Formats: sequence, structure tokens, C-alpha cells
Amino acid sequence: MALINVAAREIHCKIVYYGPGMSGKTSNLQYIHSQVPKETKGELLSIATETERTLFFDFLPLDLGKVRGFQTRFHLYTVPGQVLYERTRVAVLSGADGVVFVADSQKHKLEENIRSLRELAVNITRQNKRFQDFPVVLQYNKRDVPGALPVATLDKYLNTLGWQRFEATATNGAGVFDTLKAISKLVISKL
Amino acid sequence: MDPQLTSQIVPAEEIKVIEECLVRLAEDTGGNYVLLLDKSGQVITAQGDAARQDITALGALIAGTFASSREVAKLLREKDFRQLFTQGVRENIFISLIEDQWILCIIFNKGTHIGLVKVLTKKATDDLSVVLERVREQQKARDDVLGSSFRTSMEDTIDLLFRD
Ligand SMILES: Nc1nc2c(ncn2[C@@H]2O[C@H](COP(=O)(O)OP(=O)(O)OP(=O)(O)O)[C@@H](O)[C@H]2O)c(=O)[nH]1
Ligand SMILES: [Mg+2]
Repeated sequence: MALINVAAREIHCKIVYYGPGMSGKTSNLQYIHSQVPKETKGELLSIATETERTLFFDFLPLDLGKVRGFQTRFHLYTVPGQVLYERTRVAVLSGADGVVFVADSQKHKLEENIRSLRELAVNITRQNKRFQDFPVVLQYNKRDVPGALPVATLDKYLNTLGWQRFEATATNGAGVFDTLKAISKLVISKL
Repeated sequence: MDPQLTSQIVPAEEIKVIEECLVRLAEDTGGNYVLLLDKSGQVITAQGDAARQDITALGALIAGTFASSREVAKLLREKDFRQLFTQGVRENIFISLIEDQWILCIIFNKGTHIGLVKVLTKKATDDLSVVLERVREQQKARDDVLGSSFRTSMEDTIDLLFRD
């Protein structure tokens, strides 16, 4: 739930990057962190295993400065995608205002994408929110990989709710900011 | 509209009540630092030791710890862990849940007895539950608070800052 502090004139929104293991969630945050102006970003906090897989979450606070007198902050999180960490994902999702679902475009990952998306729906519903109404933006990542599934195929299996979706290559940044802009605006529209 | 999807607006006068409550708790316990978080990890307000930096990251981590302990509770078929106590070498942290929405966190050093902290925190969480109840009930229209042109200004700012 977005938080509006009238005394301090602050607005906070929480956005969570969700998706199967290795789909590129952390890479999204790393790219954003490398590009936004110094004044806008805080430190990127990553709680990861020795092999750079997310263990708990990544956290990147973005401060957009004053908008109409309100200091506006977006807090970006990633969940750990490995199947093992199901409960940890529930914890990180707590209080999210919007989700970016990062899907892996590789053919052999389709099944994992579908399972992860189903799990997301269950977890959002458990927070007493209606999944159909919940702000979600889809990202088809790893478009650079040879043999990536056609977008139409991914749409058919993953985008039954007709969300906005973007093709991306998180490692070189393609599509990363389009995705971020879309989810930010969607969340703001629900304030 | 789904109440969970609308934002929580904490009015200035309630922030003042919260701040007074946190100041009292810090003074009565000799605590170094007291903060109130939303369960999503956002800091509502903090009191004490101004030298602490990176409250933002602290808020994210504490809320994450609390949320993960809630999942542990579920696995143990425990209803919920309402409180968490972390003991450090110099300082201790005591964390307490307010309803299911806010998290009260107090950082204190070895000079203060945990028993005292527990009792006074209990009192503070009772007071804050009342505030939370009032915040939940007030149905201020967003436009009254943010102004109708807020969204367009916000979209312009997003376009300006979120790009490579
Ligand atoms: N080719 C290619 N590789 C990518 C892309 N995005 C991420 N990767 C690589 O995929 C691997 C996993 O990326 P991460 O960002 O760590 O994935 P994650 O989703 O955070 O993974 P977990 O933390 O385990 O859930 C890394 O080796 C990245 O460099 C992409 O668009 N194209
Ligand atoms: Mg990761």
C-alpha cells in the first residue's frame, strides 16, 4: 500500500520484480542503478549467495525529488527466483504496490515462467488483493538469446490478462526503462 | 475500490501524535532510536540519534526480517510472531507489530533492561493501534491531498528521470 505522509509531504511506493530463477530481475535493478542520476538513487543493497543468486532481496531506493510539493520515492525490490525460496518471496511481496514480472524468453524456461506467474497470482490473492486489478507489467527478458520464443507465443501463455508488456535485454539495458516507466505510472495512477 | 489498492494517507496531526509517542518511548526506556515502519518497509517516522544514516535500508531490512519471520511462524503453525528481539554486542533491537500494518522498532543499548522495553513498547503499540484505526477510517479524497494535477506532473518527472 502506498504511503502518503502529509506532515513530511512524502509519498512512498513499493515495486517488486518477480519471476523465475535467473530470469534477470537483479540485472534490471543493476542496470537502473548504473543509469539514473546520482541525486535520484540510493545504494543498491543485495542480499545474495556466494554465486550471486538472490537469497533474500535486492533493494534500490529511488528518490524523484519534489513533485507538486511532495517528495516522491519508489522502492524497488527483487525476489529470489529459485523454487526453494517460495516463502521468502511471500515476505518480500508484502505491501507491494505493483509488480514487474520478468519472464525468461528461452524456450526451455516457458514452463517455469508459467509456474512462477501462477504462484504470484496465489500470493497476491493471499494478501487479500484481487489479482485482476493488481498493477502488473510484463517483461520478456533475454530477447538476445538465439532461439528466444516468439513474442506471440509468450503472450499466449503469460499475458492472458492483457497487461502492458515489453521486450528486454536486461544485461545491455534494452527495455529496462520502458518497463520501469510503465509500472511507475501504473502505480501512480492507482494512488 | 479494493481498499488494499488505495494508498494510506497519514495526516499531519496524526504524525504529530505518533512522534510524541515515539519520543516518550525513547525517553522512558533510554532507547537510542525509535522508528515506525509500514509493513512494506517504508519509514513513517523516526526519532532519536540523528547520526544514524541509511534509515531507508534499515527499514527495508527490518520489514523483510519481520515478514520472513511471519512465514516461519506459519510453517511452525504458530499464529504469528508479534515481537522480535535481536541482541547485538553494543545494541539490541526490539521489534513489535501493530495490528498487521505497522512495525515499531526500538534500538537500545546494554544499559536498558529488556523487560522495561517490553512493557513500555506494549503500551506504545496500544496507543499506536488507536492512531492506526483513525488513519484507516478517515476517507480523505486523494485529490484533496495531492492536487488534481499531481498525476501529470508525476508522469513528466518519471519520463525525465527514468531513462538511459
Ligand atoms: N543473455 C542474456 N543474459 C541475461 C539477461 N538478463 C540477465 N542475464 C544473465 O542471466 C543470469 C541471471 O541474471 P540475474 O539478474 O542474476 O537473475 P535473477 O532473476 O536475479 O535470478 P535469481 O536471483 O536467482 O532469482 C546472469 O548471468 C545475467 O547476466 C539478458 O537479457 N540476456
Ligand atoms: Mg536476483
